[in-house]
Amino acid sequence: MKPRLFLLVPAVAVFAAATACSRPRGAERAAPGSVSLPDLSRASESVKAQLRDSYASLTRTIGAQNATPSERAAAYGRMGMLFMAAEYRDEAERCFVAAQALAPDDARWPHYLAHLYRAQGDAEKSVASFERARALKPDDATTLIWLGEAYLDQGRLDAAAAALEQALVKQPQSAAASFWLGRVSLARHDYARAIGELERALALDRAAAPVIHYQLAMAYRQTGDLTRADQHLRQRGPGEIHPPDPLMQELESVLNSAVAYEVRGARALEAHDWTAAGALFRRGLELAPNDPSLHHKLGTALVMGGDARGAAAEFDAALRSSPTFVKAHYSLGVLMGSSGRLDKAIEHLSAAVKQDPNYVEARLRLADVLRGAGRPADAIAQYEQVERLDARSIEAPLGSVLALAALERYGAARDRLTQAMKQYPTHPVFVHLLVRLLAAAPDDRVRDGRAAEALMRDLLAHEERTSDIDEMMAMTMAEEGQFGEAVTWQREAMAAAEHAGRHDRAQRLAQMLSRYERRQPCRTPWSDDDVQIIP
Amino acid sequence: MLAIALAAACRDGQRRAAADGLDAQPWFVDVASESGLTFTHFNGMSGEFLYPEIMPPGVALFDYDNDGDLDVFIVQGRMLGATPLEQARFPPRDPSSLKGRLFRNDLRVEANGTRTLRFTDVTEQSGVNAAGYGMGAATGDFNNDGCVDLYVTGLQMSQLFRNNCDGTFADVTKESRTESPGWSVSASFVDVDRDGWLDLFVGHYLNYSVDANIHCFGLAAVPDYCPPHVYTPQRSTLFHNNRDGTFTDVTAAAGLATEFGPTLGVATADFNGDGWIDIYQANDGQPNQLWINQRDGTFRNTALLAGAALGADGQAKSSMGVDAGDFDNDGDEDLAITELVGQGADLYVNNGSGVFEERSIQAGVRQASLRFTGFGAAWLDVDNDGWLDLLMVNGAVSQNRAGSGRDEGFALQQPKLLLHNLRNGRFEDLTASAGQVLRTPEVSRGAAFGDIDNDGDIDVIVGNASGPVRLLLNTIGQRSHWLGLRLVSARPARDLVGARVTVFRGDGSTIWRRARADGSYASANDPRVLVGLGDSTTAPRVRVQWPDRRVEEWTNVVVDRYTTLTAGTGTSVTERSGT
Repeated sequence: MKPRLFLLVPAVAVFAAATACSRPRGAERAAPGSVSLPDLSRASESVKAQLRDSYASLTRTIGAQNATPSERAAAYGRMGMLFMAAEYRDEAERCFVAAQALAPDDARWPHYLAHLYRAQGDAEKSVASFERARALKPDDATTLIWLGEAYLDQGRLDAAAAALEQALVKQPQSAAASFWLGRVSLARHDYARAIGELERALALDRAAAPVIHYQLAMAYRQTGDLTRADQHLRQRGPGEIHPPDPLMQELESVLNSAVAYEVRGARALEAHDWTAAGALFRRGLELAPNDPSLHHKLGTALVMGGDARGAAAEFDAALRSSPTFVKAHYSLGVLMGSSGRLDKAIEHLSAAVKQDPNYVEARLRLADVLRGAGRPADAIAQYEQVERLDARSIEAPLGSVLALAALERYGAARDRLTQAMKQYPTHPVFVHLLVRLLAAAPDDRVRDGRAAEALMRDLLAHEERTSDIDEMMAMTMAEEGQFGEAVTWQREAMAAAEHAGRHDRAQRLAQMLSRYERRQPCRTPWSDDDVQIIP
Repeated sequence: MLAIALAAACRDGQRRAAADGLDAQPWFVDVASESGLTFTHFNGMSGEFLYPEIMPPGVALFDYDNDGDLDVFIVQGRMLGATPLEQARFPPRDPSSLKGRLFRNDLRVEANGTRTLRFTDVTEQSGVNAAGYGMGAATGDFNNDGCVDLYVTGLQMSQLFRNNCDGTFADVTKESRTESPGWSVSASFVDVDRDGWLDLFVGHYLNYSVDANIHCFGLAAVPDYCPPHVYTPQRSTLFHNNRDGTFTDVTAAAGLATEFGPTLGVATADFNGDGWIDIYQANDGQPNQLWINQRDGTFRNTALLAGAALGADGQAKSSMGVDAGDFDNDGDEDLAITELVGQGADLYVNNGSGVFEERSIQAGVRQASLRFTGFGAAWLDVDNDGWLDLLMVNGAVSQNRAGSGRDEGFALQQPKLLLHNLRNGRFEDLTASAGQVLRTPEVSRGAAFGDIDNDGDIDVIVGNASGPVRLLLNTIGQRSHWLGLRLVSARPARDLVGARVTVFRGDGSTIWRRARADGSYASANDPRVLVGLGDSTTAPRVRVQWPDRRVEEWTNVVVDRYTTLTAGTGTSVTERSGT
């Protein structure tokens, strides 16, 4: 084990005492403990270098005879930030405690300590540190909101409410303060107030809506309004709401490691900031040029930003570094597929599923490409495997049905649709396709106009009229020999398509209209373009 | 074999001390090695940070030989992938015996009440050859022959061992059609259709293979264990018992296939009070599921609107261990779930109809548990005061978060957490005073709860990852009065898990409990019901609602001993709730 480098804090204490006459009382106190570099053997070279450089700088500053307490504090603080960013939390704590002792009026150090303790789950210490920060900056809304959250963790609802209300006085437009006040009100069972605060937060920050919706759902549920509760639940999503925190943003940007850049880039990707994401991934690649994950993520940022060629190059680079990197195979497969290079798409997607047989998304895309390449039987095998792996996917049974139809196995397609309707009762696409099949399958053993009509009556009673619905009704009427009705419905379908700007569809519908006018039924259940998964 | 003698306590005096609160004696002591329960889990770690290393072991408490005391089964690991054993970070003491171990409890109770706990490793002669990379266990008499069977979950496969009722088991996985390939963790034998035969729910975790292992790193690029979201979840399985030794996978037919997550914890109970058993799935990093039994072979997931899918913050949490129990004595089943450090354990309080409010903040559970990554957990009345307490066993999953760079190979150790019920909806953290064994940091995973020495209080078996098994003997509960019940069917006597017990006490209060073997994490518990009565010596009236909805009562059930209540031998009672 490498020898640890120790920095003896007693030297600090001696110096601090020597200058006590000219310094505030707090600075006289020596920083407790000692700060040392931990075992860095498994950290990346860039992190090692960064930590060692910073430690050397700290040593120099502490040892400098003319360094002021605040300069020493700043040195400890910088070191602490790096340690904390690199997840060396024990060492970070020692640094911040030292900084705090040297510069007790600097709110940064208790702020960072509070976050450190929060990350460790130590609510008591976190609260104490946030309280200290608040004492130094009583008007700082960010600190007040964090303190409110910390009090809530402790179950101190009154204290939480007081801190958050104070934050709102300082920053009336703070969505975070309203949100957390709403959560406190929920905990207090004050549902009316909770709803008020949460609705306010929603109005202030639509980007945070998915997170707020869940809380609103719970509040409405408790008041008995299950309809509203359900509506909000349908809009909920992942995420957290916290106050803007420049200090933490600064900390989160200090670490010079490929992983850190990858994490920051991933956050930018989630925020749909493709340019920023790309820049961060490139920074990461400067440190780890052969990291396949970084190449892949950079490729993702590029493709989202519209640079497909650049993206392909990055996916290729990922594979050169790691020929079995499944995500790169997947992404290349998707890219090739969307540009019509189906053979290449199949090659890469096949490689992905060969490497990871449980990679559902890759297998699904492979199935789609196989179907598009005129290999429906191969596609069905993949769709069926997807269904075995993950029954949540409705694309797999849907793809199977389309592939069966391509093989003219209309009976099997009908049976699969009937099964899927029971399996996925909230997904109307299967009913729609079944109607089409029953009305227009080329196989007269499969067609059943009456059954199609029964399904249509039910659809019309429960679904909004669309061009799709009208077309299906036209097909059904034609199959039943009611061509006059069929023409009427088909014209409605065409008008709806035109209205929706779907001119190609309207043209296709027009061709079918002429068949109905000649009293000829439809024998083309669907075209792939017409098949949509309606959420 | 070493044996320990446990002196009989002067019950009345010590009961007063227990009733007053804390005293100097630790509430739990570890007697594993003294009692012959010597086992060290081997997780096969070799420095590659392979995900499965941090997940096992689960443990099981069950009376396999029907001698009236609880025996112990613990899963074992092995090397993962092609890495040779010599490269193991912590090589096993006996590489030739890397398989799950079955320990027979040879408890001796003398006439004067002295108890001698002694365990004997009977694995080889038992025929339990659980040789895969074991995760956990479930127990239940699936063939209704009066002998408890064993289902072992694992990384690549699960195994069903049928108890032959002669001290041996047969591996009937294939013939029973319960193979359930893939990574399974928690499982539960549960009669979902009330036909008197135990069905089997197997919780599956992630799609994982060593060959496709993903390497993860902390922010300083230090290697670490991955979070679950880098892999895709695997669907869990519900097997219906065909009553002929075989099972049928009815997952899709039951409506359980179209919503699932990476399941770690499973608890079954009647959450909505309609008399039918429901299933709660605790998923790692994805919303949990509350499958309400529709009474027709299907289930409907109501977790989201019921408030039991997500944490109070509206986010999916890590959700490892779960247990259902009536902690507030209001007659319904509440839920406690263990979580990752910084997330805080969940306390879902049932309103009686299967709708929950998350109250970990108000109850003091959140603050106490934020520092820990919890796994096995259960509701148990530690001090027999009639109120369920909560014990969680903990251990981190991320080296970087826990160890701050300490190069100790497996720096994930954390102490346990004992939360004592204050009877007002709140809990207090009594870990510090409950015994050194709770404060000792370990990488704890499975925990099985039951009265191992039959002295009237709940003890705990703890499985530690890459560490020794612990037998935490409860030394305080038996100082108060208690009621022990074994709820069984008529011949053969099978534990009727799912049976609900109402205890009408002499002071007018009522306590509800449930016979169950599932819950916690990857573990199987004592199916007997133990009810704390505090100071009361009045023999209570006991009402049992059997799984088939028949309700019977017994009066003057003797306290401070176990009584077997057999279905069909009590006084019938007509109850109007449910159908």
